[in-house]
Amino acid sequence: MTVYSLLSKEWAKSLNSAVTEYKIYAPLVKSSSADYELITAETIAEVAYDCLLPVTPLKAFFFPIRENVVKKQGEEKRVIIGARNCDLVALSLLDAVFLDEDFVDPYYKNRRDNTIIIGSDCYAIKETCHCTTYGVEPYSEINFDLSLSFADEKMYIRVGTDRGRNFLDSLNISGRQEIDKLPEDILGKRENTRQLLAEQNKELPDREETKAIIAKTDDAFWQEYAKTCVSCGACSVICPTCHCFLLIDREKFEKIKQWDACQYPAFERVAAGEDPLKKLSKRLKNRYECKYIHKPGMFNVIACTGCGRCIEACIGKISKNEVIIAARNKD
Amino acid sequence: MHEKNIYKPIPFKLDKVETESPLIKTFFLTPEEDFHFKTGQFVEVTIDGIGEAPYTPSSSATVTDKMEITIMKAGYVTTKMHELKGGEILGIRGPYGKGYPLEKFHDKEVIILGGGVGIAPLRCLILTMMSEIERYQKINVCLGARTPADFIYKDWYPELGSNPKINLLRAVDKADETWQETEGVVTLLLGKLQTDFSSTVAVVCGPPIMMKFGTLKLLELGVKEENIYLSMEKNMSCGLGKCGHCALGDYFVCKDGPVFTYDEIKDYPDIWI
Ligand code: SF4
Ligand code: SF4
Ligand code: FES
Repeated sequence: MTVYSLLSKEWAKSLNSAVTEYKIYAPLVKSSSADYELITAETIAEVAYDCLLPVTPLKAFFFPIRENVVKKQGEEKRVIIGARNCDLVALSLLDAVFLDEDFVDPYYKNRRDNTIIIGSDCYAIKETCHCTTYGVEPYSEINFDLSLSFADEKMYIRVGTDRGRNFLDSLNISGRQEIDKLPEDILGKRENTRQLLAEQNKELPDREETKAIIAKTDDAFWQEYAKTCVSCGACSVICPTCHCFLLIDREKFEKIKQWDACQYPAFERVAAGEDPLKKLSKRLKNRYECKYIHKPGMFNVIACTGCGRCIEACIGKISKNEVIIAARNKD
Repeated sequence: MHEKNIYKPIPFKLDKVETESPLIKTFFLTPEEDFHFKTGQFVEVTIDGIGEAPYTPSSSATVTDKMEITIMKAGYVTTKMHELKGGEILGIRGPYGKGYPLEKFHDKEVIILGGGVGIAPLRCLILTMMSEIERYQKINVCLGARTPADFIYKDWYPELGSNPKINLLRAVDKADETWQETEGVVTLLLGKLQTDFSSTVAVVCGPPIMMKFGTLKLLELGVKEENIYLSMEKNMSCGLGKCGHCALGDYFVCKDGPVFTYDEIKDYPDIWI
């Protein structure tokens, strides 16, 4: 993989010309949390490369909250800067679903084709981050066009795809130099992140063990957690791998594809009234089974990438990781 | 942009609507674009601006210029379907799912067990099989309904029963004075069959409770788990293996099914609801 070194200020300068040609989204920090915003010439300097995981999951760029899937879609050229590896790995599951060659989703494909994804390393973690427990590294591994690592004034760019290389070339960054590998200080920073994660999650079982733990739980176990779950669905909609949606009919045979969640009542109810997920405890369990058993079984992918967003989002104060640890300690 | 839009229905003209029973009607459709399906596959039917729902055609898969769908009034969209008079344009997406692997039924004796509106997709299967009847040893058709009046396709049975390769048996839960056939649950009919069950293929479609007891009875008679084909009813929405509504364990029923063999799904809890 080709690696370049350059000065951070030259990178920022180069974005000045790119904002006119592309819609560029990058994290800005507002009231303590970071989230992707459309970047303008004025806000380039504010881009927070070292921020914590952005609030919005990356999936929202390709699978928006709602969209008309019958009307023609424009082909907007976009660049996303600062995507984290937990979200990049999650894209593999979304790609398996929406780019399945039997039924390619043209709206998703169009967005994937026209979006350059620039990942970045994580040097600081949230108390809910647990990627490495599931074998997901805290730096871009997959599904990125370019990836950024940074140290003080300097920055390093790894090239993931030809599309990324072409974009990088088009930026004409002065002083860009090809190097044979990332420098030691970057590798040290990554190792430090890994250690922080290992320490924070030392109680947490890995994916295989979690799968076995979840499979063994009984309904009584989930009933306990069902007491505080209010079926808001926040845990699902915020998850970078949840792909469920609803089709809503509009006149002229148009259809709106809108995020849906298995945590909402009646998600699986059939016309005649039967509903396998009628009980809240079953819906809760279903989410864990989906992430640790069924999606890996269907697509051979990691379906919980350990981003921790569902834990942060839960208004019922249900921590996915505490649930898993409690289930393990039960037997 | 990718030229084919998987979410966009193609137009079908609704030629006429016929009443089968108080809650069930058959819709006669003509596709306005090229359309064909395999028996056991389903389609998504859109009423413009109202909603979309999945149904399995009830007409033969060998007929491509017309299609019939039989629908029971159960929820919002089916109620709206029942209000249609004929002449309307409906939208259809599909066909979806894998359908019945007919080649595996060749040279075998087949049991077709159905009840209520579950007879509709089985009619498609039976008609499709009848177009190549020489390929099958014998077809045992066991059908049930609540009362004689609840049987759909009343005009069809005399013709069906007269086919030498078809053994038609019917049961009603509650007979009236005109009823000459079996009274009782449909699974009773299985006990009347004379066949080598261990080499027989069975297809089951109907209300969940009938699917359950039908399957248990077939197993008891010696039909192999991998020879029992079940059409699973799920809350199908996209039909494309994307929206997640039809998940059943490691499967999307819409794409991996809706027809499964019993051994493929028996280990999942709640398959009968
Ligand atoms: S299940 Fe929770 S921690 Fe895992 S990927 Fe989804 S939101 Fe992140
Ligand atoms: S976020 Fe929490 S309260 Fe909301 S549906 Fe998920 S588990 Fe239940
Ligand atoms: S109906 Fe949408 S995934 Fe099966």
